[in-house]
Order: sequence, then structure tokens, then C-alpha cells
Amino acid sequence: MNDHLLLAKMLIEIGILWFVYYGILIFARGTRGVYVLRGIILITLVFIITKQVGFERINWIFTKIFALSILAFLIIFQQEIRRGLANIGQRRWSRFFLKESEIIKEITTACFLLSKRKIGALIAIERETRLENYIESGIDMDAKVNSELLITIFMPNTPLHDGGIVIAGERIAASGCLFPLTQNLKISATLGTRHRAALGLSEETDAIVIVVSEETGGVSVAIGGRLTHDLDRESLERVLSNLYRPDKKNGK
Amino acid sequence: MTMNNWFLNNFWIKIISLILAVITWFYVNEELIKEKEMAKQLYKSSVINQIQNPSYDKKPVK
Repeated sequence: MNDHLLLAKMLIEIGILWFVYYGILIFARGTRGVYVLRGIILITLVFIITKQVGFERINWIFTKIFALSILAFLIIFQQEIRRGLANIGQRRWSRFFLKESEIIKEITTACFLLSKRKIGALIAIERETRLENYIESGIDMDAKVNSELLITIFMPNTPLHDGGIVIAGERIAASGCLFPLTQNLKISATLGTRHRAALGLSEETDAIVIVVSEETGGVSVAIGGRLTHDLDRESLERVLSNLYRPDKKNGK
Repeated sequence: MTMNNWFLNNFWIKIISLILAVITWFYVNEELIKEKEMAKQLYKSSVINQIQNPSYDKKPVK
């Protein structure tokens, strides 16, 4: 009986630790913090291994580095930590109450109005992978998603129309963002920079990237490094409603 | 989303998190055992000292 209780305690504790580590890794993914996090995990593993093996001097050095690295971590990532804590307080939980259908409607309306007028647009929708790097490359907006605003952003000869916008959760996080261009040599040479940027971002992250072509007015979607051309309104709505709710689908 | 999809989604992050969680648990567990052992030994040695030398605790520290 006692053994069962101990085993249950152990499993619950490992489960809690797993949840914390998973949350940290998911949060860090897609931000510049992921590289530092890898370094910290590596140092921690070396620290544990040297302790187990009995390399006392190496372990002493790592103990000192470890103590300092915690302080360095807090200083370097104070912004991310603040943002993460704020997310726990509001954003993640608010996603349970997201009005996805309304947001999808606003996005599709904007895309097809832009398409009709042959105005180019590039819209990235954040899913599991955080797009902080790309948000930081643009201009912070933190605005409610609505079709009028989306159309206004992409109006030619306006300060924000260059680059893409990032929609994170239920907000337009930033506009004028720079996305990486695809390095895929197999794609058609006729594809412009906007399409290449959409493909590039979808290759590096799990974001849904919508492109409205300036030349043809066609609406395309890039997901996982694949571009689907010339979608109609229903298809775009279907794609978005299937994919644009990662948190709910994952049961988080 | 099916259970299978949930499992496969971010599979490697889940596995890495699990490995880290297990390593952390065993490491902390071992440290806790060591701490308890040390506390026991300290207690034992102080009891032995008190038996052997009842005025041990009353000696002023120089």
C-alpha cells in the first residue's frame, strides 16, 4: 500500500515537472530565448552528470556557473518572463473563450476585399510556435482583429503596408513584420517576394500564412512549407476553422 | 482532436520534457535523501557528544 502511494506521488511529481518543462519549451519555441534555453539545459545536464560521475572540481566550476547563470537568465529574459507571467494571467486562458468564427470571418472578409481590389497582403496567424521574433521585427499594434483595420494596413503608400502582419490569439500583434524568404529552389520562379516570405515563415514555424497576390488578386495559404493557390472564400474559411484553434484542439 | 494526434503533436518537445522531468525528479530525490542522511548523522553525533561530554554544548565558542 505504502509502495503504491510512493509510486503515485512520484508519478504525480514527474507529471507536474513535465508540465512545467513542456510549458517553458513551448513558450520559448519561436523566440530568441530558445537558444539560451538549450544552453542552460546543456549546462544543467553536464552539471548533473559530473556530479554523478564524481568529477568534483568540474562540478565545483559548474556549480558557480549555474548560480551565476540563474541571475543572468533573470536579467536577460526579464521581458520574456514578464510576458510569460502576463500570459498565464490572461492570454492563454482567454483563448478558451476566443470567438474564432468571428475572427475568421473578419480575416476572410478583409482578404477577399483586398483580392477584389488587387491589393497585396501578407497575414501570419500564430499557432503553437510563437512568432515573437517576427513580431519584434515589425511595429507593435495589439489591436482587435477587424476587416476594416486589416484593409487599411495593406493600403498602398501607407507606412505599414510593407511587410506582413501577425495575428496572435485574438489580436493583431504587429504589422510591417519581416518574414524569412524560403530557401526552397524547387518553387516556381514566378512567385513573388510576398509568396516566398509566406512559404519561408510556414517552413520555419507552424503558422498559417495567407497571401493576397498584387498581380492576380489570388488568395493563397502557406502551411508547413506548402502553398495552396487561389482559394475561394469557403475554402479559406474551412482551412482557417480547421487550423486556427491550436489550444482548443490540443486540449490545453 | 484524437488522443493519437494529441500525442504526436509536438512529440519531441513532449519527450524532451519527460526526460528532463525524470532527471530532475531523480536528482532532487537523491539530494533530499543525502540531506536527510546528513541531518541524521549530525543528530547522532551531537547525541553521542552529549552522552560522552555532558558539558559539550555549554562550552563557549572561541
